[in-house]
Order: sequence, then structure tokens, then C-alpha cells
Amino acid sequence: MLWLYLHFHHLLLDHIARSREDQAPLAIISEPSRRVLQACPRAMHQGIRPGIPLKTALNLAPELVMVQADDEQQKRILEQQAQWLYRYMDRITLYPPDGLLAEAGSLRRLYGGLPQLREQLTRALEERCLNTTITTGSTPMAARLLARAGMPIFTGEQQLLKEHLEQLPLEHAGFEPATVQRLVRLGLSRLGEVAALPAAELARRLAPETLVHLQKVQGQRPDPQSCWQPPRHFHQQADFGLAVEKTQGLLFALRRILVELENDLLHRQQDTDSLVLILRHHQQAPTRMRIRTTGPEHRAEAFLNLLRIRLEQQPLVAPVESLELTVTRFLERHTPADGDLLGDGVDQEEAWHTLVSRLQARLGEQTIRHLAPAADHRPERAWNAREIRDRSRSTREADVEHLPLRPLWLMRQPQPLRVVPDTWFAGPERISGGWWDGEKVLRDYYIARLPEGQLAWVYRDCHDGWFVHGWFG
Amino acid sequence: MSYAELHCFSNFTFLTGASHPHELAEQAMALGYRALAITDACSVAGIPRAWQALKDSPVALITGSFFELEADPATRAVPSVPTRIILLARTLTGYGQVCQLITTGRRRAPKGSYQLFMEDLETHQLDDCLCLWLPPAVEQSDFTGALSRGEWLLRRFDGRLWLAASRSLESDEEQRLHRIRALAAQLVCPIVATGDVHMHSRQRQPLQDVLTTIRHRTTLDAAGHHLFQNGERYLRPLPVLERLFPETWRRETLVIASQCSFRPGELRYEYPADLLPPGKTPAGWLLELTREGEQQRFPAGTPLPVQALIRKELALISEMRYEHYFLTLYDIVRFAREQGILCQGRGSAANSAVCYCLGITEVDPRQVELLFERFISKDRNEPPDIDVDFEHERREEVIQYIYQRYGRERAALAATVIRYRPRSAIRDVGKALGFDPNLVEQLLNGIDWRDRETDWRNQILDKGLTRHPRVANQFFTLVNMLLGFPRHLSQHVGGFVISSGPLSRLVPTENAAMEDRTVIQWDKEDLESLGLMKVDVLALGMLTAIRKALALISDRKGQPFTMQDVPREDKATYAMLQKGDSVGVFQVESRAQINMLPRLKPEKYYDLVIEVAIVRPGPIQGDMVHPYLRRKHGLEEVTYPNEEVRGVLERTLGVPIFQEQVIKLAMVAAGFSAGEADQLRRAMAAWKSHGDLTPFRDKLISGMLERGHDEDFAERLYQQICGFGGYGFPESHAASFALLVYVSAWIKRHHPAAFFCALLNSQPMGFYSPSQLVQDARRHGVMLLPADVNHSHWDYTLEGPEQCLRVGLRQIRGLSQRSAEVLCQQRPSTGYRSVQELRQRTALPQRDLELLAGGNALEAVSGHRHQSYWQLLGHESEAALWVSENREDQDYGADDSTVRLPAPSEGQNILADYASQGLSLQRHPMALLREQGHLRHCLNARQLRTTESNRPVQVAGLVTGRQRPGTASGVTFVTLEDEFGNINVVVWLNTARQQRKPLLTSRLLHVKGIVEREGDIVHVMAGKLTDLSHLIQTLPVASRDFQ
Repeated sequence: MLWLYLHFHHLLLDHIARSREDQAPLAIISEPSRRVLQACPRAMHQGIRPGIPLKTALNLAPELVMVQADDEQQKRILEQQAQWLYRYMDRITLYPPDGLLAEAGSLRRLYGGLPQLREQLTRALEERCLNTTITTGSTPMAARLLARAGMPIFTGEQQLLKEHLEQLPLEHAGFEPATVQRLVRLGLSRLGEVAALPAAELARRLAPETLVHLQKVQGQRPDPQSCWQPPRHFHQQADFGLAVEKTQGLLFALRRILVELENDLLHRQQDTDSLVLILRHHQQAPTRMRIRTTGPEHRAEAFLNLLRIRLEQQPLVAPVESLELTVTRFLERHTPADGDLLGDGVDQEEAWHTLVSRLQARLGEQTIRHLAPAADHRPERAWNAREIRDRSRSTREADVEHLPLRPLWLMRQPQPLRVVPDTWFAGPERISGGWWDGEKVLRDYYIARLPEGQLAWVYRDCHDGWFVHGWFG
Repeated sequence: MSYAELHCFSNFTFLTGASHPHELAEQAMALGYRALAITDACSVAGIPRAWQALKDSPVALITGSFFELEADPATRAVPSVPTRIILLARTLTGYGQVCQLITTGRRRAPKGSYQLFMEDLETHQLDDCLCLWLPPAVEQSDFTGALSRGEWLLRRFDGRLWLAASRSLESDEEQRLHRIRALAAQLVCPIVATGDVHMHSRQRQPLQDVLTTIRHRTTLDAAGHHLFQNGERYLRPLPVLERLFPETWRRETLVIASQCSFRPGELRYEYPADLLPPGKTPAGWLLELTREGEQQRFPAGTPLPVQALIRKELALISEMRYEHYFLTLYDIVRFAREQGILCQGRGSAANSAVCYCLGITEVDPRQVELLFERFISKDRNEPPDIDVDFEHERREEVIQYIYQRYGRERAALAATVIRYRPRSAIRDVGKALGFDPNLVEQLLNGIDWRDRETDWRNQILDKGLTRHPRVANQFFTLVNMLLGFPRHLSQHVGGFVISSGPLSRLVPTENAAMEDRTVIQWDKEDLESLGLMKVDVLALGMLTAIRKALALISDRKGQPFTMQDVPREDKATYAMLQKGDSVGVFQVESRAQINMLPRLKPEKYYDLVIEVAIVRPGPIQGDMVHPYLRRKHGLEEVTYPNEEVRGVLERTLGVPIFQEQVIKLAMVAAGFSAGEADQLRRAMAAWKSHGDLTPFRDKLISGMLERGHDEDFAERLYQQICGFGGYGFPESHAASFALLVYVSAWIKRHHPAAFFCALLNSQPMGFYSPSQLVQDARRHGVMLLPADVNHSHWDYTLEGPEQCLRVGLRQIRGLSQRSAEVLCQQRPSTGYRSVQELRQRTALPQRDLELLAGGNALEAVSGHRHQSYWQLLGHESEAALWVSENREDQDYGADDSTVRLPAPSEGQNILADYASQGLSLQRHPMALLREQGHLRHCLNARQLRTTESNRPVQVAGLVTGRQRPGTASGVTFVTLEDEFGNINVVVWLNTARQQRKPLLTSRLLHVKGIVEREGDIVHVMAGKLTDLSHLIQTLPVASRDFQ
């Protein structure tokens, strides 16, 4: 067997670098230790090495762009690589955070030889600006170690591979650091030297995992690989044979697909809040629409209602030959609270969701908003209108219980006060703040009745100007 | 109309108050307040500074503290709004009561916080305090709840309770005032007007907002309702107060103020009298002890001038009533002596004949008469300041003795106020303004704090933190205001305050970060301003080393050899120092000192006093070094502008070197009064953190010009004052240090083996690593022997008549002292014969055995380190055996393995030695590299010594030091080490900028440069730098990076 391993030297950095216009050096920083974990070639050129303190790194390259380490993100990027590599090879194993393994034997045949395969891969990687070492190996572990050690051997010749493996420095041999330390203390420095020692004696002296590891590298012990599965999106297509001209016809087909979807979601134990519907026409660009629910949803009926509203709203541009429904977004299913005997709470919540979904479907997502208080002393900033979906983001949620006395009608622009109030009720309430964002206020507020009887919220600013800012009921 | 502010936070309520105590005090004066209470949260830390500002003013300072009391622990399950009160001290007794309550609250909670319960008001005596209650807000508690709390308070403070009403013009104010009026009516209790003051002026609102933001760890944009609604919490002018408060409420402030008669000036502090034997007076007992000491110090009879000195000093001590202070010091020093702990005092009062007799210092009055002129100054009325250094490994014993002798109620450490410095201020203000924290870090890193030409403010602007002029403006204004603000209290390095009564009546104590340590709420300056005395108990590594060296010398001589037995003024010792041969010698071992020694050429004790003080920022910045050297070597005439100046400067040849001289000079040459000179001294001490010396500049220079000094001299003196700021080095300290310089140098010169043995056994200390010390030892002819299980002890030892220095097992990284000791105890007289025997006799853990093998300490019993290690691993834990599932393998017998591992090469050995011990007795790695032909064309350290000036050369070596001293603008000093010694490389700023990478990251550096020499001092002025680290990539050589 021949294996192929791709080691991405700094996946996250490459990923970021290719979307940056500038050529700034990049490095991944470990927050707790304030040290460099990874550096891009440009940073390396300036002397930045993994392990050096951040302070030194900044002395070397004052313009260094620092990136926080993020394993999750890196894993996602790795999976993205697996997805496009899936075109070239089918048995992929992920080695997060920075490597991919594939069985090379069949690929070799497919591409007509190793050099061709290598060329193909190299080109694809270069297009994506990924710094990668690709190696082959007679075992998965061997291929991985050689790649990580930066020994780019790409051959099917077993003897050559073996020789390379024997030259592998111990610190790159994949042993535990403590084991490496022990081996170094024995005066050993290359993997070949370790392999040359009698196995029984070695096993007695080092942790059992060490021998297991060594045997896996050498292929003396099975090392099964679990294959990566491309993410299974929900995707269904309906072909109409004769083009459908009426919405009703689409709904009929959609109903079936949506039931399938409901079953699928049930199977996954997940919900979704986003469907993509593509209508294909004869000799015309397909119509693409995205339908969003307000909350996680799985019921076919709910989806259908939304789709119906949307289709009624948006007349068909042309007869539809086929339609595709895709769901790529899956959400954890919301478990209803237990013990709600009357079930009121759930119903209300559902009713609310349904209402908002329908309104949004009719009017557009951006048009429906709700009012909320904001924690700011300045009246004009003490409230805002936010998107309904935006419930979780509560950065400056004000404590609704203890809001100060404010008029219900706050004017967008304070109006100059042109009459002398009859009666003064409360005040002054002084508000000063906002010096930091350029909208500094310094005002004394009063509640006053104007001659015509309205109850007004008036203020005097620091220039002695008088304004009406709102009206009480 | 008059008014007293009774509720005022200073910035000692950390991250809350936005003004310094003195700013509040000055503002109260300017506004014509009758009185001002400083009421920090569970603290009186701001009081001394306010007192300093108010003691001679018509505004009375009232001492108090603000408290938030939780419901009682029993009912704590129900979360409730804390009760907020202010307690004001009526008299000295009341002050003690407040301090006691603060101590309780602070001691109960972790450092920096406090916890008090309602019931604490019952268990503490508070009958001499007045209580202002700040009733809970309407939304926090209903009326009945508030009322019952008020009734409870009224029972505790009947006739001494007020309801505090403030007018901060916020939205809920009307309801709040309504509530207060109703409560007052129900409780029949007066209402008093208060300001809830957080700042001295309204201009501080932005800073107060920023502090709040920092406290809540957020940004201004997100701070929302954490911020106050407006900036009304300031000290308001009387007309405003008149408009806001009814007359009755205002009148109550004066009623309260008139009842609070306590002033911090009343604090009288008594040293513990425990030390007096019954029937003795302090003066009598001190005289007796001095007499006893005289007989020891002067067995042949006290010389007449010294007798006179002692009489004079004792009289002064008596007059100032400082006997207990000296007796306390005597007692501590006596304890140390009895325990065999080496110690030595320093400081102006320490260098007195009395202290010499009491054994507090070793500076002999016959040797340096000059020093003893200054002692305690009656005019300055400052408490005597004596620091006592103890062996660093045993100082804790002394501290424990003090706690045990006086009890924790009466002894505590002084605080150190940690203040905002530019770096922390920029960081915190940056965060509050919402700057990207990474960007701020980046900027901070890029700032060259020592670049005197471009202020850090301009540097930041240059780097483009913000392009918005408004934001940049705000940023700098805020950072400037925040600079010098206290952040928290930390423990002073060793300043003890000991009192005769419970300390908590005098000043509250709180927990320090270190377990079992408590600190008082005042720092050194506060103690000084209130005339309280402290004893500094400090740790000094060199004393440890000297004691150990003296013990080794005693062993060798077969009789005790003490510091007093060290011959004075030994020519050979001075000759050694004049060559700059001072690695390991106290105080003069740094690179700068090593370069100074051959120029200054010390030949007597007092030269060492100067040597210690001259390589400091003060003299260097004031450009005093070169004039002094020229005069010392007779190249320049020694002149004095007048007789008075001669009096001050004669002993330093007319050049001011010491801090005391600078102060004295300000008096005699610039006409400063004693009081002004004292202010100058304080400003100098504080300059580094927050002080400002510019007010003194004009006065100093004009004063000197008036008295006929030239402008140049005046300007240099001012520069020197700036340089002294924070780093001031007084003669009185240098004198004591110089003694240790001499003693350690003498030991190095005459007993080098004992000297290095003692130094290596006192690590970590000093300037050099064990590796550097070992190399220097070899250069001084000391024979080194490697670590060996059959010969080594935990410590380094001297073996045989040749006094060979055997590496101690302590040098093996990670080896436990316990294991090493077991190994030595169980060692048969013939030594261990095999690893098996070692294992059986000692039962050492496998880990320690492996470390011994790694340190090549098993070579004698089981061959080279690789083979030893292979053997050791063969007997590893049973678990390994089970895995092989072959019981026949279980053969514990001798060396069963047929495997023969190759012996380590020299290079491998060196690397392994460094990895295990940080040093190697094999050849220097540079010798190997040279042999391999890597360093052709490079001169070694020895060749360099004889190379003439201005020659282009190439050198290479391990980088052991990279320094950018604050006194040398922009220059980096790199120290390279090779097999013959050290090479000093000087890298100018431009070279450094262009070659950052090799300069900062090389461990093995190659330098092309030009030789520059001055006498015996040789430097290489660096041109091209090349990183050769790849040659030794795995060599762990510790480098002292920029510090």
C-alpha cells in the first residue's frame, strides 16, 4: 500500500493571507503564553519563529498581524480542503488541525502515475495559496511523519521510503516529548537508530505506546484509518417532464419533498431555518430563492406555508422544468420544556414565531423590527429598533425594571421651545455624557406644561438654548 | 454660608475616585469649605496625603470611611441590598474604632476587597464614631424595609446618626429625596447634605467614566448605565450648594464637622517597650548596651573622638526619643547574630558610632569619619531610616521572629502603593476607549521608553493609533491624568511597622497577596509624613554567600574566621579590582562596573564607596563621572566655588556623586531652605512614578546663578537630580555596601575556591549564571570536578588540600534536594559500586536516578551516560514488564542487556551537560567550533585583549547578555562568551535597527567590527552581525535579554 499525506504548514495563516490585500507578516499567537505558535513565510523571513515571545516578535516585525489560535476554525478550513480534494481522491482521512491522508495506490492508477498526480495536486494547492508538504509513505503514519518533518519525498519505491524514514530526526518521529527526551539521553537521534534496537529490550525500557507507535510506522501493526464522509446535505430534486406553469403545481411537488425533509430532519434529530429553492426553466437562468423561518423548524406544513406565501408573492418568470430543494443548514433541535401541563407557553411561542415568519415572508426580513431599551444615559440613544432574529445579542440590554421616567413620544429632532411653559413639574435632571463618541450632551431636563396644555419634556443645553424633546401623554 | 463635605472618595478607592487626596484638599481650600472628610471605601489609605495638604490650612480634615455592609451571615441566603454607611471619627478613640472595623473587613476578604456584615457594628466598639446613613434607593427596597434598617442603625448610633442626602440631579432624585424626608420624619433623625464626591472638579468626569469602565472591564461604548448619569459628583462651589440644599441640611454638615475633632497629627506612635529589662529607662538601657558594644569594638579603649561622637549621638537620640527604635533594631540584629545569620545595617542613622557599637553596622567610625557627621537631623525632624540586610536564604526566620516577638496585632509590613505607569495607563485607557487590544500591545512594544528625544506621546502619534484628532486628544489627556493614580496596595519589600499597642488602632491592616502576610494601609511616604518609624528587613544574597565562604575558610584554617578577621585595606585585593577582575564580587560585577573599575582604580575603602555610587543614572546623567575621574587622576584641578560648597563636596573632589550631596548643594548653593530641600528629596523619590521636578528647576538654577555659580554647573546639577529620581543612591548606603564589596573581593582574591563554592551554593543571586561563575573560577586556577554520586553532595564542596571544587548535585536540574541528601547519607565509605546498589540503598525514585544519569553523575558506577541510562531504563516500572508479558524477562540481576550503546561524543556530552546542569566542565562549545574550522578569521577573547585600537576584527561567541541601559541612549551592549572569556560588543542604534533579526534572535553571534580600547577596556563596535545559531542549535544558553 502506498499512502499520501498533505501537511499544511499554516492553514489558518494561508487562509487569512489570501483574503488580505496587504503583504503584512502574519503569526498565530497563543494568548495564555503570549508566544508565537506559527509564522507565515514572510514573518519567518523577518526572524519570527514558533516559540519566541510575542514581545520579541514585535521587536522583529513591528507591523506583525497577530491572529488568535482557533482550533475550531482551523478544523473547518481543513474540512473545506477535504471537500475540494474529494474531487481528486476518495479515501480521505482528516488529521486535524493540519493534515490530510489519502490512499495513493488507486490514485496513481487514476492519474497515470505519481508524477502526474503530484503535478495535479501541486497546481491545485498553489491556486489556493496553501503552503503544503506532500509526501508518500508505506504506512499512513510514515507518510504523515515525513510530511510533518518537511521531508518532501514523493515516490513509490519502498527502499527509498525506508531510508528516508530511518533518517527521520527523533523530535519529528511522533513520540511523546518525554519519550523523545529519554531517547535523546540514550544518545539516539534518528528513527532508524531506535528501530535498530532489539524490540523486546526497547519495550521493556520505554512506554508500551512507544513500541506500538514504532510498529505502526513500520507497518508491523495494523493502523486502520477512518474515512472522512463529505457532509450530507439535504438535497431533493423534482423533475416535471412537462413544464409547470402554475404555482399550485409546484406546491404539489414541494409537499412531497417537504415531507421527505421532515423525515430527514427527524432522522437527524435536527431542525433548520433556511431552505434554498432553485427553479429551473427552459432556456432561462434558474430562479433562486432563499426561505428563512424565524426559529428552528422541522414541520413540513410550516415550510409549505412559507413557500406558498413566497410563491404567491413572486410570480413565476417562466414555466418550471425542475426544482431543487437544498438544506445545508442544520440546527440543534429545540426540546420543548417538560411539565408544561397547559401547554400555553409553547403555543404562544409557536404562535409568535408563526406570526413573525409570515410577516417577514410578506414584507421582507429587514422590515420587521422590535423596540428595545438600550443602556445609555442619552435619551436619543436609550432605545433602539433591532432585528427580531437578533435576540441573543444583548450587549447593552438595559435593565427594563428600572428605567427612568421618559416620555412615550420622543422626538427624532428636538424642537426649539418657542413658548414659555405655564407650569414646571420636575427638574432639573442633568444628563452629561457621550464625550467619548463625539456626541457629547450636557443638558438639564424638565417636565413642563405648555400654555396649550401639552405636557412636554424640555431641556436646556449648555448654550442656554431651550428645546422640546418629547411629549408625555 | 459655610459647608463641610462629609462624603468624598479619593483615588484610594481604587478605580472609583477620580482625584488625588491632595487635589480634593486643595479644591476644598479654594472653595472655602469649613471641613473635608475623606471617606474611602473601607480604607484610610488616602488620609496621610490629604493631611499633608491640609495640616496648615483652615480647612479641617475629617477622617472617615465608607462601608457597604451585607446582611448578617445567617440571613445571607436572601440576597439583599447592602447597607451603605459612612463612619466619621470624632476623636482619636473614634479613629482607632474605624481602623479596627476596617481591619476586620479587610482581613476577612482576599487582597483588595473587604467584607463586613451588619452584625459587625454590634461586635465592634463604635461609640466614638458618627454615622451617616445612605438609605437604599426606591427601586432597591420598600419603605418598611428601609425604615427597619434605619431603626436598627438608630439603636446603634443613637444621637450620632444622620441621613445623608446628596443632589446629583439624576432621574430618580425626587423620589429619593422624598424617601429620605419620610424616613427622617419617622426616625426623628436629622438630614445632612453630602456630595457623594468622586472627583475634585467636574472636569474629571471623563476620567471618572474611564475608571468606572476599567473597573467593570468593559469599553465606554458598552459601559451604559454603569456610568454615572452626569458629572455632578464633584466638590461644588458654595453658591451652588446653597441653591441645592435647604439651609438646615447644610447646617448639619457644620454640626458634624465641629464634633469631629480628630486630626491625623495627633497620632502618637510608641515603639514597643517590651525590650526593656525591668527597672531600666530606655536611655539608660541603650547607654548600657552601647558601653558593652564599645568594649567589644574597641578592646584597647574607645578613641577620644569616637567617645565624643557617641556622647553626641546618644544625646540626640534621647532628645528625639528614638531610644526604642534603636533598641528594637538592636534586638532584631541580636536575634540574627544568635542564629548565625549574617546581617548589616545601612542608612544615615545606621552609619553612626552607636550603631557600630550595637553591632547594627560594621562601618568603623575610625575608618570613615566623614560619614558620621550626618546622623539624625533635628531640624528635618525626619524619623531615622535604617535598612538592615539579612542573608537572603534566611530572612524569613527574622520575619517570623518579629511576628512571634510582637504578635501579628502589633507588627505588619508597610504597603507599597502600586500606581499607574505609562504602560499600564495606555493599556487601560486604550481598552476603555475601545482600541483593539492587540494594536495597543503592538504600540506599547514599539515605544522606546528611553528615547528622550521623542516623547512616548509623539511616538504613539507617529505610529497612528488613531487618526481622529479628537480621540487622540482625549486619549492623551486621560492617560496623563491617570498616570500616578494608585491601582492597589502591595507589600513593601521588608518595611516593618511595630507598635506598642495593637497596630489596628493606629492604621488598618489588610491581607497581602502572599499568604500569612498583612500590610498596613500606608506606604513609606505616608509613614514618614506622619512621623511613624519603620524597620526595613531586607534580603541580600551576597550576605548568604559571604557567610558560606567564611565557613569554608574557617574549616580550612581550623578556626573561626569572621568578617572582622578580614584584613583591612589589602593591596592585592585592590589590585585585582583595578584590573576589573570582579565577576561575582558584590555590586561591582556588572559590565558597566567592570569597565569603571580600571578607570577609577580604587585603592582604598572610600574609593569603593564612590565606585558603588558612581555607576548610577544620577551621576551618569548629570555628567559627573568624567570630571570626577579627571580630578581623581590629577588631570584637572580640584576647585570649589566657595567654602560652603567645599564642605559638601570635598570628599568627592568637588563633584557631587551622592544623593545627600545633591540635596545639601541645593541648600548651600541654591539657597533652598531645609523644608524646601526636604520637598525636593521627596519629589526626587517620587519622580519616577508621578513626581514633577520642573517646579524646582527654576528655583534651583536661579538660586545658583544668584550665588555666583555658572549656568553650566547649575544645569548639570539639575540633570543629576532628575537622574537620581527613583534611583537615588545615598552615601550612607554606599558606605555599608562598600564594606561588602571589599570583603567579597578579598575572599575572591585570597580564597577563590571558597568564594566560588559559596557563590554557587547561594544561587540564584548576582549577575552571572553558574556556568559563567564556573568558567571564571577556572580562570582563577580553581580545579573543577564533575558531579558524581560517589563524591558530590547537594551543595558544591571543596575537596582535598588542593581545594578542588566539586560540582554539587544541586546543579542537576530537577533533582530533589531530599533525594540528594538520602543519596549522601546512604553512601558507603567506599562509594556505590553499581546502580543496583544505589537503587537498593537509597530507594530513589526512577525519575531522580534518570536525572543523575543525565547529569553524568553515574559514570563511575555504570559507564557513560548513554549506557547508564539504558541500564536504568531496563529496571523501569513493573508496568513496562507486564506489557511484554514475558515473566522470564524479569531479571533484576546485573547488566543483562547485550546492547552496547555508542559512547557520547564530546559535542554530545557538552550538549547533555548544558541540558542537565546549564554548564559543562568539558571544553567550551566555542573551542569545538573553532577546532572544526567554523570560526576562521575570528579573534578569541584573549587575542582581542592585545589587539590595538581601530583595527577591524571578527569575533564570535555565545550571546550571554543583551542590555540597553537607560543611561546610554539607544546603544545595545551585547556580551559574547568564548572559551577564553567575554567579549564586549557595542551596537549603535542604527546598526541595531538594520540588523534586528541577528541581534535579537542569535544565540551564537558573529560580529564584524572595529576594536575600540581605553586602557584595558576593549570593545568591539559592531558593524555586520551574523547569526550562527545553527551551529549550536540545541545548546541551551540562558541569555539575559532586555530587562
